[in-house]
Amino acid sequence: MEERIDFSRDNQIVRLWVLSTIVYGFAGLLYGLLVALQLVVPEMNLAPYFTFGRMRPIHTNGIIFGMIFSSIFATMYYSFPRLLKTPMWNHALSHAHFWLYQLTLVGAVISYHLGYSQSREYAELEWPLDVLVAIWWVILSINFFMTLVIRKEKHIYVAIWFFISTIVTIAMLYIVNNAFIPTGLFKSYSVYAGTTDANIQWWYGHNAVAFVLTTPILGMMYYYLPKHTKLPIFSHRISIVHFWSLIFVYIWAGPHHLLYSPVPDWAQTLGMTFSIILLAPSWGGMINGFLTLTQAKEKLRTDATLKFLLVAITFYGMSTFEGPMMSIRAVNQLSHDTDWVVGHVHSGALGWNAGMAFTALYYLVPRLWNARLHSEAWAETHFWLATVGLLLYVVTMWASGITEGLMWREIGDNGQLVNPNWITIVSQLTGLRWGRALGGLLFFSGFILMAVNLFITMSRKGEGFVETDLREGA
Amino acid sequence: MAHHDENLTWYEKWSHKIEEKGFTFTVLAFVAVAIGSLIEIVPFFTSDVVDEIELVKPYNAKELAGRDVYQAEGCFYCHTQMIRPFKWETDRFYGSAYSNEYQYSKAGEYVYDHPFLWGSKRIGPDLAHEAAANKSEQWQKDHLINPQKVVQDTIMPAYPHLYNEKNTVDVRQLKANMKGLRMLGVPYSDADIAAADELAGVTKGDALVAYLQKLGRDLKK
Repeated sequence: MEERIDFSRDNQIVRLWVLSTIVYGFAGLLYGLLVALQLVVPEMNLAPYFTFGRMRPIHTNGIIFGMIFSSIFATMYYSFPRLLKTPMWNHALSHAHFWLYQLTLVGAVISYHLGYSQSREYAELEWPLDVLVAIWWVILSINFFMTLVIRKEKHIYVAIWFFISTIVTIAMLYIVNNAFIPTGLFKSYSVYAGTTDANIQWWYGHNAVAFVLTTPILGMMYYYLPKHTKLPIFSHRISIVHFWSLIFVYIWAGPHHLLYSPVPDWAQTLGMTFSIILLAPSWGGMINGFLTLTQAKEKLRTDATLKFLLVAITFYGMSTFEGPMMSIRAVNQLSHDTDWVVGHVHSGALGWNAGMAFTALYYLVPRLWNARLHSEAWAETHFWLATVGLLLYVVTMWASGITEGLMWREIGDNGQLVNPNWITIVSQLTGLRWGRALGGLLFFSGFILMAVNLFITMSRKGEGFVETDLREGA
Repeated sequence: MAHHDENLTWYEKWSHKIEEKGFTFTVLAFVAVAIGSLIEIVPFFTSDVVDEIELVKPYNAKELAGRDVYQAEGCFYCHTQMIRPFKWETDRFYGSAYSNEYQYSKAGEYVYDHPFLWGSKRIGPDLAHEAAANKSEQWQKDHLINPQKVVQDTIMPAYPHLYNEKNTVDVRQLKANMKGLRMLGVPYSDADIAAADELAGVTKGDALVAYLQKLGRDLKK
């Protein structure tokens, strides 16, 4: 008879990551709402500590490295023991990872408010915090790979493939991009300069999208989707082909951030070409997800976890179509540096990433606290607030981005700029930017509703959770 | 798990083998991401990707102090520093102050930029050639202290604290910064670094304005 594996100590860590996901989700969205409002009400900038320039990185880092990372780690610590049929190798390391991570995030919030920043997007942390990140990444890696070594299940499941590529690639990106020379306790300079720095930073920046916001999220999809629906993934062939092609192709895409810049043309063209190719492996993942999900489509109406899987996969498909289009030079001419880019990022971050984080939360909380979800109706409301808020956000940013892009470039019959005054253009965008803030507010309201729903569920710990069978006709 | 199905494709057979080998799988996943990385990054160190422009000089002590303020305040989140080679960009960003060759951004302009500050979102105007806007120090100062008073309807935040007389350049840190940058190849002489001593009591706002007035200055006609 098979020995029963004790997951209780691993569950303890997952519960902490679940709480961490909710806390940073709240903070990250709140800062997002505030910076959105600062762009229409400049009086909301309170120098020195509360200006747009200091708060934007708290918003972006809070969502990406706070909420999304926490939901990824929750899934890793939940799925590794179950997929590898052994508890995590070392629980002390699991705890060390969690608490050092918390120290990093709190340090990030404080240091950004104080104006300590390496000034490279998504890599703003000053060097002492970078060292801290490196330490917990090594801890996570050791713990994970040792668990892989002692595993009782010979076969390594697809979700784990994506997590492996994440752990390995983030290490490479982080080390190369954070080559700095410290000149004080909170000051350092990148060893690279100008175009070289730009090339390396966007190799890192775009692959943060790839290996923080895509591969581990696909790992989450490949875990929760079949576990929750009790249905096998539609095609293992697609899994194989899209996994290897995705990680191979993604890494080249960075220079699409630098089209028409002084970075050499060959690099720009490689970046653009691989970005277009990337559509295929990205949609491989989307198709595999959709074709699995549709086998349980009747249950979409009644099940919160499934609903957010649907949001996540839909927006994954949407943003991985939009991204390659924006990488084409002719389109990029118009979209570069505009609000369109911001809209694109949010359809990925709020749709695909937050959608998957919510999937994880609705899946994990009832199971880990052993209580039925307090209210499916609230979850339904959350779904609509999130979806409508997100669409309002994305659509207003499309309109705003295309408007400013067109106004920047408009040349009259006399050969002169039609809008030489910058403020004319900024004023034109005000209404749309209010629309964006409203979209963000709706999304945030939905989040709060979810948080309350989950906290009530947690407070009923031990009342009992019964898994429902979501298969069609079941 | 046994997979002996004759209908399996070659890549499924291959995958089934490595799906059971954690180490091999990890190594291959690393190889997959290392290939593109090497091809796109190594040439930046082994070949001349930058045509140096002799006219471009490093930031002096005051300008560098201002650049540090620019970084700390996150100015680059709203102001880009990269002018693309389009008429609508060069017309808007003071192209007429430059010879044809230098109207848009060239790699040689950024050789002393650790890190680069091109930004990714142009909420305010591009500042790569801000020197050519010919705005006075006083204009810049007034604009930083109260932007709405100088430019009606602007959404720029106010930065009055930069002119607080206690908020001055940290000379010791600045000298350490210059020494650090010298190690990275910025050609600072001992005299250049010693000049930082003269900045005791200079506000961060004044340093920031010095930096803004350096942007694009060296290549102006």
